[in-house]
Formats: sequence, C-alpha cells, structure tokens
Amino acid sequence: MRNFRKTAVVLLSLGMGFGVALQAQDFAGGLGNAELERRLGVESVLFNATIKDAPDDDMIELGRLVAMGGAENGGSGMACITCHGVEGHGDGSGAFPRLDGQAGWYLYKQLNDYASGARPNRVMSGIAERLTEPEREAVSAYYAALPAGTFDTARGRIDGTLLQWGGQLAAVGSAEKGIPACVNCHGPQGTGLPPSVPYLAGQYAGYMELQLTLWQDGVRDNDAMNVMEAIARKMSEEDIRAVSEYYARVANPAEMEAIPARELDAPGAQ
Amino acid sequence: MVTELPKTDVVIVGAGWTGLAAAKELADAGQRCVVIERGDWRHDATSFGAPEEHDELKYARRKGHMIDTPIKTLSFRNTSDQTARPIRRLGSFLPGKGLGGAGIHWNGQLWRPLESDLSMRSHYTERYGAAVLEGTNVQDWGVSYDELEPHLDFFDRVCGTAGVAGNLNGEIREGGNPFEGPRSADYPNPPMTPSPPLQRFRDTARAMGYHPFQMPSANVTRAYENPYGAQLHPCTYCGFCERFGCGYFAKADPIICIYDVVKDHENFELRMNSHVLRVETSADGKTATGVRYIDARGREVFQPADTVCLNAYALWNVHLMLVSGLGTPYDPKTGQGTVGRNYAYQTMAAVSVFFDEEVWSNPFMGAGALGMTIDDFNGDNFDHTGLGFVGGGYISANQTNGRPINYQPTPPGTPSWGAEWKRAVRENYLHHVSLACHGSSVAVPQNHLDLDPTYVDDFGQPLLRMTFDFPENDRKMSAYVLSKAEEIARNMDNVRAVGTSNNAAEGQGYSVVPYQTTHNTGGAVIGTDPATSVVNRYGQMWDHHNVFVFGACLFPQNLGYNPTGPLMGLAYWTLEHMKTDYLANPRPLMDA
Repeated sequence: MRNFRKTAVVLLSLGMGFGVALQAQDFAGGLGNAELERRLGVESVLFNATIKDAPDDDMIELGRLVAMGGAENGGSGMACITCHGVEGHGDGSGAFPRLDGQAGWYLYKQLNDYASGARPNRVMSGIAERLTEPEREAVSAYYAALPAGTFDTARGRIDGTLLQWGGQLAAVGSAEKGIPACVNCHGPQGTGLPPSVPYLAGQYAGYMELQLTLWQDGVRDNDAMNVMEAIARKMSEEDIRAVSEYYARVANPAEMEAIPARELDAPGAQ
Repeated sequence: MVTELPKTDVVIVGAGWTGLAAAKELADAGQRCVVIERGDWRHDATSFGAPEEHDELKYARRKGHMIDTPIKTLSFRNTSDQTARPIRRLGSFLPGKGLGGAGIHWNGQLWRPLESDLSMRSHYTERYGAAVLEGTNVQDWGVSYDELEPHLDFFDRVCGTAGVAGNLNGEIREGGNPFEGPRSADYPNPPMTPSPPLQRFRDTARAMGYHPFQMPSANVTRAYENPYGAQLHPCTYCGFCERFGCGYFAKADPIICIYDVVKDHENFELRMNSHVLRVETSADGKTATGVRYIDARGREVFQPADTVCLNAYALWNVHLMLVSGLGTPYDPKTGQGTVGRNYAYQTMAAVSVFFDEEVWSNPFMGAGALGMTIDDFNGDNFDHTGLGFVGGGYISANQTNGRPINYQPTPPGTPSWGAEWKRAVRENYLHHVSLACHGSSVAVPQNHLDLDPTYVDDFGQPLLRMTFDFPENDRKMSAYVLSKAEEIARNMDNVRAVGTSNNAAEGQGYSVVPYQTTHNTGGAVIGTDPATSVVNRYGQMWDHHNVFVFGACLFPQNLGYNPTGPLMGLAYWTLEHMKTDYLANPRPLMDA
C-alpha cells in the first residue's frame, strides 16, 4: 500500500482531487504513464486493472490514447474524456458515471455489452462498436488503474430518514420486501468486488437511480449472474432514490486508505 | 407453576421446512396453528447477508447456526456393550436451530426416492430372494412413488428446483437421470452452470457408459416465483451454502419460501426461544392433549391443542416421543417396541481428484448443489447379484466451496503441515474436485435410539442415546461404490493424482467426531404394521391418532440420497390427508 499512498499524496500536493470536476470536465489533468505504471506495482491496483493479461506499458498507453479519442483504427469517434473526464470523474447529470478505479473487467464487459446491445445506450453503443477488442481492453485497464478520486458526488440536501433507509437497504436489505442487502455482492462499504462487481461508494446518485430503473424496466439486463433485475423489481421509487443517495455519500474506501486522516478532517474536505 | 394457555387447533413443534409447511397448509385450511421453535427469529435479508455471513470461522468451524450442545445434545456409543458419552461438541452431524431450522444451512441438493426404494423389502425379495435382507430390518415405506409424486413435484416448485428431468411422464430424456421415477412435470428452472471439472466428470462418465446428469439443485438459477407467491433470485455461486444461510434469496429455504407468505396469516402464531419439554396425553392415553414448554421468559407453559405435529429434527422428534411416553420404546434385546427402532445413518466416501495446470476449478465459485452426478450405482439401479450387499449411492463431482480454512486439498503422501504442505495447497487449490459417494444405510436390529440412563440435559430430562456402527452391508456397499468412483477419476484426462477416503472403511468404527453428513434417519418410522412402525402410512401415530410426525425420522432405512426432498414429499402427503380426511373427522386413518 505504500506506493499507493505516496501517489495520492502527490496528487493532493498538486491540488487535484478535492471539490473539483463536479460539473465541468477537467481535460488537463490525469496521471502520466510513469505514475500509472507505478500504481500498477501495487497488487490491489494490478488486480483491479487486469482483464485478461496483466496490463503492460503498451496497453496503458493505448488505453490513454483511446480515452483521449485517438486510436490506430480511428478510435471511437468520440473521446471518453469528453464526458467521463481524463481522471474518470464523470459528472452528476446521471448519464455519466465515474470510472476512476472502477473494476477493469466490469468496465470491459460493459463495453462489450454496449456493442452487442445487451446494455442498450444511444451514446455508448455506437462508441463501443467502433472500438477494437484490444482498445476496449486497454481503455478499461486505463480507467481501472486510475486512483479513485476524492470529490463530493452528492448533490443537494436530503431528508435524513430517507438517507437512513438507504443505509439500511444497503447494509441489511429488507426482510419485509425480500430485498437482499447491497453489501452481499458490492462489498462492505460498497467497495465492489473486482473483477465483476462494480463499486457503488461515491458513485453519482443520479446514475445509480437511472440504472436501477433501467433494470426494473428490463432495459438493462447484463449483469453477470442476472440478479439485478429481480432485486430492482422489488424496490419502490423511494427505495431506489434512498439507496442511491446513500451510496453517493459513502466515501470511496480506496481513497480512505490512501489519504491521511488529518487531510480528510480538514475544513472544506468531504 | 405451569401456565395453561387457551386451546389452539394445532400445535407444531419446530419451525423448519416441515413445521412451516404444516403451518402454511393447515392455516390455509382454517386451522389455528401455534408453532413453537427453540431458537431465535432470523431472516435471510437481515441475518444472512455477506460479508458478515461469509465468516467461515464463526459459522462453519464454530457452527453458529447449529444446536447449542450445552443445552441440547445426545449421547453416543458404537455398540450396546459400551457406555455412551454425551456429544459435547458437534462433529459428524449438525442439527440446526432457529427459524428455518437446518433448512437454513443445507446445501440445496434436492432429490426424490427411487420407485424401488419405497418398497425396498418387497422389491429386493422379489428380485433376489429374501435371503439378501437377512440380518437387517429393511422394510417397505407403505407409501408408493406414484402416491408421493404430486407432493415431490409440489416441493420442487416451492424451491424452484433447477435440473433436467430424466423421466418425464415415462419418457426418458437426454441429460437427466434416466433411473428416476416418472415426473409429472419438468423442473421449474434450468440446471446450474457446470464448472470445468464437472464437465470433465460428465464426459468421462458418459464415455464409460454411465448416465451423468446435473444434480437437482435448490440453488435457484433464475428469478422465480413459487406457488405460494414467494420470489427467489438467481444464485451467484458465492460458495457459502452448507453451514451458512443465504443472503441472496437464491438458496431455497423455509423462511423465504414459506414463512414470509404465512407470517401475517390470522391463523398463524410463532413462538420463538421456546423449548418443548414433552407432549402431554389424555387420561386414557389414546390422544395427545398439547405440549408443555419453557417459554422465552423461562416460564413453564402448557399449550393445549386438538392436534399435535412433531416437526423437530429427526433425532429430537424421537427424543420427544421417548420422554413423553408416546408409543412403545424399542428394545434391541427382544426386538419389541418401535420408538427408536430402525435408526440409520448415511454412508459417505469420497475421491479427491487432482488435475494438472490444464484444468482450472476455481473452487471459490461454487454452490451447495453444483454437481454432476451418476445414479448408476444407487438403490437397485444395478444388478446386486453376488455382491453381498443391498443399496447403493450416487457418485457426484461437487463444487460446493473453496473456503480458506476448510478447503485445502493435497494429494496423497503430502505432509500434513510445513513447507511441503503449503506448496501442495498452493499447487492444488485451483485444480481439484471431489467426487462424493453418497450412500444408503440399512436398518439393523442393533442400531437404535433410546434414553440415556445416566446423563440429563439442562431441563433435567435424560439425553437421547444413539447406538450405531456401520452395518457390514453398508461397508461393502461403500467400498464398491467408491471403487467405481475411483475408476472414473482415473479415467479422466489431466489427472495427476487421486486420493480416496471412506468413513465406513472396514476395520474402523463409526466416529461422531469428523463431519460426515447431517442425514440421520429413522427412529419413528412410517409403515403399515404397528409392530414395526411408529406411524401409519399417513404419518399418523398408531397409538395416538392426533399426533402427526414429520421428517427423516420416518424413513424405515436411509436412501442413497439427501433426505430433504423425500421427507418434504412425505410431509405434503401427510398434510393432504390431514386436510381432506382427518381434520373433519379425527380418528385413526388406518386400522391397527
């Protein structure tokens, strides 16, 4: 973990991370290849970013290139960073999830599913179709290797009771409604279980709400074990909002590990 | 001071599979049901979720969901000339406690008996002559496969069982078990996804002329609604079935399949943390009047009832009868009496298969009933002429878990500790599968259950005493089935080592220390003759017509299968006769 921590400290000292990229995308930031390679020296980062084979320098470079909108085959025709940002922070519109530090294989599967139509999406399907197989793998590994950034994804004020209900659904589900707890698969504190289960902690509420609704409606039907549709169908609109707002407010544990406690306690930090 | 409560229609002892099924069916039939359960309330959503539930030390090793032996246990001896000692730490078998009972920590391997299993004595006598059963208490069940089929089918639907029917209304179908009795309908869900070792086993067994099929699984394979309206979810192959509850709503269990749909019923009441001491009987001894129990606050309570249902674990049902004076205790010296007679266990052996680097098992992706099975050596599916034994077992490549404490497969000859052992675990963890030989057990006169003359429990009642060793018949059967399993293992490609183990090996007594299986059977068996059975073919006690008995204690001898499917078929059969015949006109349903 020591390398990981150093990386994060470097990030902080550069003034990146906190409170930025909430709405506007940051095209200028991002880690250099050398820094990403250093991060891949950490076992957990390497595991998170490995899709088929362990990513090497060339793959990370290709991934970065695809993210920026270029590639040998002409690329996707649209840069990932346009919506998801160089650091993969996405935005709070509900349409653009954060990708930073997300499980690599999960990201890769989503690209395949966008391309095949298993996860229909008017923007992403066309983009994914134009990416070659190695490009899908590379860009997924690239975003997976990025550090999960520290910024506040939650927006606005929310009723405390609703938030508590969201926390309860996340931790123990509902015996009354027959809803299994999120932590069953998404891990303690919503960290995800790479390679196949994405993190929820610190993800945008609007995005999670939309996905649960798509599952409920049977539009999205592409999770590996096909469990999400049945779960979403048991949830009310309020349940969906509660659990999404809750997870948006849970700090991503990857960043908790990386950042000294005193920094987190500093005024203005979330 | 005993508090006497207002009378209820039905009192049900135990809130596991059979107890909750009885409560649901009888409550719907207008009977006011009181269910009394020794353990705690719990629910899949709130009690069994990962990551807390996936604590191998707490639940698998320290057995968090099992009966507390300081409160409830039994004593054990191999033979009648020994002095039995109390089992102070669970080992060989693991009775459950709490809402859902042992139906919470089962694997979900959901079988049916073979047609010939249910008429074992007449079938073997007809095919081989009566001499093959000499020295055993093997007998017929008194109920036929055709009679049970609708009820076995219903329970498949309650659980959302996954599999391929091998015999659909008499038509033998590819990919299923060709030996099974005819099914009136296919499984409600498609089979599980077989892992690479299971595929290897299937291909090799098929090439050897056997008939591999996927084990029937109550680990549900897709979103499913059961006939009661309960909704189950697809299994995630998390590898935490046996000894654990399922927080995914994917392993069918009594809470999500039945309790959730009966809990608000006006005729249903559940009393937790209440320990039933005895069933009380009327002055003339002909009927039961209710049950006496210690409630959650430690008070002694009498609950009067018109009908008493015994739905505790197989061994505890027998214990309750013995301490209550229900029926006549079995005496192995004279062969007289029936309560405690025909206790049988299950005969377990296994082959450990070690693959080379070509075959990846990834054992952590497992499920309780993720198995590829052959039934060619079970029951009387093969010719027993000259073999010197009856019965058999299924052989199944099972991938149930890869948990770190329990699952450390090493090839024969590996030291049990040290650097060599560690290296062997590293090399084999991802390249190993076990073939289980899940064998039957015949009842013999000497194996039985009675009350311990010395030891008492927390409530001052004598412990149940078990006297058991593997009958010679079962040792021979086990060695035979194991040799067939080993042969398959050696015929598989990419196998670099094969190891075997046999709990019933010649020359070693049955031990209650190492885990084998929780499938204890008999002691209060079903039949058509009151001299050899405790209950008639409807599950009704011969001696007390308003006492109905449920569970594996009914089995006259043990099958080569896991008992939950067969015992639930019997439960729904009994409940149907209670609802359509007995309750309107309470009386003995058969003449003694």
